[in-house]
Amino acid sequence: MPRKVAVAIVGGGYHGLSLAFNLADRGVRDILVLDAGYFQGGASGRNGALVRGGFSSVEWTRFFGHSLNLWIGLSRKLGHNVMFTRRGYAIVAETDRSAAMVERALKVHAAEGLRSVGLDRAGVRRVLPAIDADRVKAAIHFANGGTAPHHAAMKAYLAACRERGVTVRYGTQVTAIERTGGRASAVWAAGQRIDADAVAVAAGAHNPDVARLAGVELDGAGMRIEAIAVAPMRRTIDPGIALIDRATYLHQTGRGEIVGGCEIAGEKPRMSLASDMPVMAHTARHLATMFPSLGAARVLRQWAGQVHVSSDFGPLLGQHPDLRDLWLSAGWLYGVAGAPASGDLLAKAIVTGVIDDRMAPFAVDRRRRNRPIVEESTVNLEH
Amino acid sequence: MARLPHAAGARLAFLWEGRVVEARAGDTVAAALYAAGHRMLTRSRKFHRPRGLSGVFVADHLARVDGRPNVRLDDELVREGHDVRAQNVWPDLDRDLLRLARLIPRRWLRAGFEHTRLIPSGTPLFERWEAMLRFLAGVAERPPADQRIPAMAGRRIAADVVVVGGGPSGRRAAAEAAGQGASVVLVSRGTPPGAFARAGGAALPDLPESVTVLAEHEAFGLYRDGRLVGAAPRDGGAATAIDAGCVVLAVGRRSCPPLVPGADLPGVLDLHTALALAHDHGVAPGGAVAVIGTGDVEAVARRFAALSVGVGAVLETGRTTRILGNHAVAGIEADGRVLACDAVVHAGPWRTDPALGFQAATGGALRLIAQAGRGNVTVVGSAAEAPEPVVWGGHLDDAALVCPCMDVTVAEVRALAAAGEAHVEVIKRLTGCGMGACQGFPCWDQLGAALAALTGRAVDDRPTFRPPRGALTLAQAAGLAEVVGPEP
Repeated sequence: MPRKVAVAIVGGGYHGLSLAFNLADRGVRDILVLDAGYFQGGASGRNGALVRGGFSSVEWTRFFGHSLNLWIGLSRKLGHNVMFTRRGYAIVAETDRSAAMVERALKVHAAEGLRSVGLDRAGVRRVLPAIDADRVKAAIHFANGGTAPHHAAMKAYLAACRERGVTVRYGTQVTAIERTGGRASAVWAAGQRIDADAVAVAAGAHNPDVARLAGVELDGAGMRIEAIAVAPMRRTIDPGIALIDRATYLHQTGRGEIVGGCEIAGEKPRMSLASDMPVMAHTARHLATMFPSLGAARVLRQWAGQVHVSSDFGPLLGQHPDLRDLWLSAGWLYGVAGAPASGDLLAKAIVTGVIDDRMAPFAVDRRRRNRPIVEESTVNLEH
Repeated sequence: MARLPHAAGARLAFLWEGRVVEARAGDTVAAALYAAGHRMLTRSRKFHRPRGLSGVFVADHLARVDGRPNVRLDDELVREGHDVRAQNVWPDLDRDLLRLARLIPRRWLRAGFEHTRLIPSGTPLFERWEAMLRFLAGVAERPPADQRIPAMAGRRIAADVVVVGGGPSGRRAAAEAAGQGASVVLVSRGTPPGAFARAGGAALPDLPESVTVLAEHEAFGLYRDGRLVGAAPRDGGAATAIDAGCVVLAVGRRSCPPLVPGADLPGVLDLHTALALAHDHGVAPGGAVAVIGTGDVEAVARRFAALSVGVGAVLETGRTTRILGNHAVAGIEADGRVLACDAVVHAGPWRTDPALGFQAATGGALRLIAQAGRGNVTVVGSAAEAPEPVVWGGHLDDAALVCPCMDVTVAEVRALAAAGEAHVEVIKRLTGCGMGACQGFPCWDQLGAALAALTGRAVDDRPTFRPPRGALTLAQAAGLAEVVGPEP
């Protein structure tokens, strides 16, 4: 374990590794990544693998559009195959309200130069042949969106980090963050102190707890989300899909399993990796309703993961307003989609001090400043 | 293969791969095909090795029945005119050209044909390559688009005691609880409960009439520290959520095949399956059966003799070094000698499938870990006994399969261990071990044993078990949405 590093990163998931890679790529040396769990043990190994093509607000569209472009070139950049497949991504609306949102989002995409199309009935049948087209009121298709399996993409990030000299330690919990003279100055792990010029926190659901180690508060809370996988079959569903009115997302993996999850009403936020019955049942109901030919398909497994959800469902990116040199990549619900951009822009901010325009709206203190971002197309029941 | 003298049931006929097969009413499709000499039922995921009913690995007897993919042939009763077709083959089971995948160097093909450096994403070829991977890895053709299977309304019941398992221990536990005035639900896969004990010739204690029996049901999950039990019937009917005062697991033990080459061949059966074939369906597991096992193997052989099954060899499982054959069992190698046989029945080493107990007693935020004292679950009968070690004769052979469903060989585990990968969760992700239809038992036991032998270190960790392991369909699960709300 080093005694002094340039940047100590807490969390070895998508965002910690993406930041470490981008810092190293910008010439920073002495980067240390510490993770309390095992490789891919957190949300980075339990997610829906979706790289969403776009959203409805200008802020999300700009940030995630940048990230999508980075995903497309990521295998080359990392030198390892991330297996990002551009099978497309569809947002499906079943009500007048969400159909109107779809129309608004298409206008934002056109203004921002994002490649998206509204699907008419023939388009729905072509792009989503297995869906019950009678239930679809409107849909957006992003041809460049898709999915990236974490077992390939995370492996690629880790390998690329290590090849660039980054020290990555799993099973090593950060137990304290020291502050000196109004800045974060060191972390403690494995019983020793590691001085750091900067500390970055990308600890997923544990972000609020890790921030508290440094004596600062973070907007939002950690909570469980759940997913299911259906027994494999050959190519049935091409794009990743958000069933916006059902707070449901799904895709078919390269191995043929259909993986999806949903939010349900009345679930209390809780930190747990134990799965329960209702989310499995509701996800099954949404899948069987929207894809009626799949009713006899068997549920292979269900599992839980944990995420840190901010009050406006958006990521928290940048330096903490109350503590210099404490940087955050937190609040991720679309963490797979956003990982390349968060690492890129946060590394730029740490190294150059320049906050990129695409990152600025997601500032950590936006709730305090009463500047939430209204994004209507996320898969959440609260809309 | 001839039926045994006690075979009964009216004759009927169905289609297998387009050919007419005769069956008896009451047969499962798997039993009828076995009786008709069709040992090979599908081919393995990646390398298309012949696979047949084993009783251990579920993916070896999945097929398409009347357009429904991934049907368990050991659950599905034969009906007149059934159209049953093999999966994961092209153009058909016998001529399967996909087995050319065997020619691809194995280091290029991890998990679902993945992790190749040949065609990185972002290149023009990748989308085509990925589409081909999806075809190869997908196994089953999708259901016909006009198939409509509506949600099956679920139900919710409550009981002071939920007993899982209909064998002698489960029955005794149920009777005892009912005798003390408790309301009892007993969940059993058997028809009626206790099929294995009955086929083995054991007497079964009576169940009091007050016990509610969910026969032909699989207990698919113990949620909320065991206070909520999920059970689903094998026929696709309504699933049941049971509020449980406490849970008694009397799930018995299962036999693990030896970790040797050929243990995945059609004709290698666990004792449960071989006894069900012989006793319940009047089908001989083979003409000359080799019985291997731990403990009193001779008693097992005598039971088969009593059922008119010809036993050719009897030996300890741990002496087996290889099972021979191309498309089905032709012999067994032990102590340097080859014994001819046309089926191998293994009766041990015996291990308890830990999934349900694990689910009921786990917590944790960084990883799921079983926590002693958590959950209101008691384990009784043989399920409570210590697991017997996974065995192989001689040295650990590279060609042995740790996980036959995903084609994970000892060689692959050896290569990963040599590269420094020692965590079972990481190896699971890299190989796909335990990600098939069985969801981890006994392949994670075999992975742990192989890894310990290869690294010289004890392997205490195991990947986490996850319900419902294929025990219910989307339509059945959907029905539970109306009856179970979020945990308060």
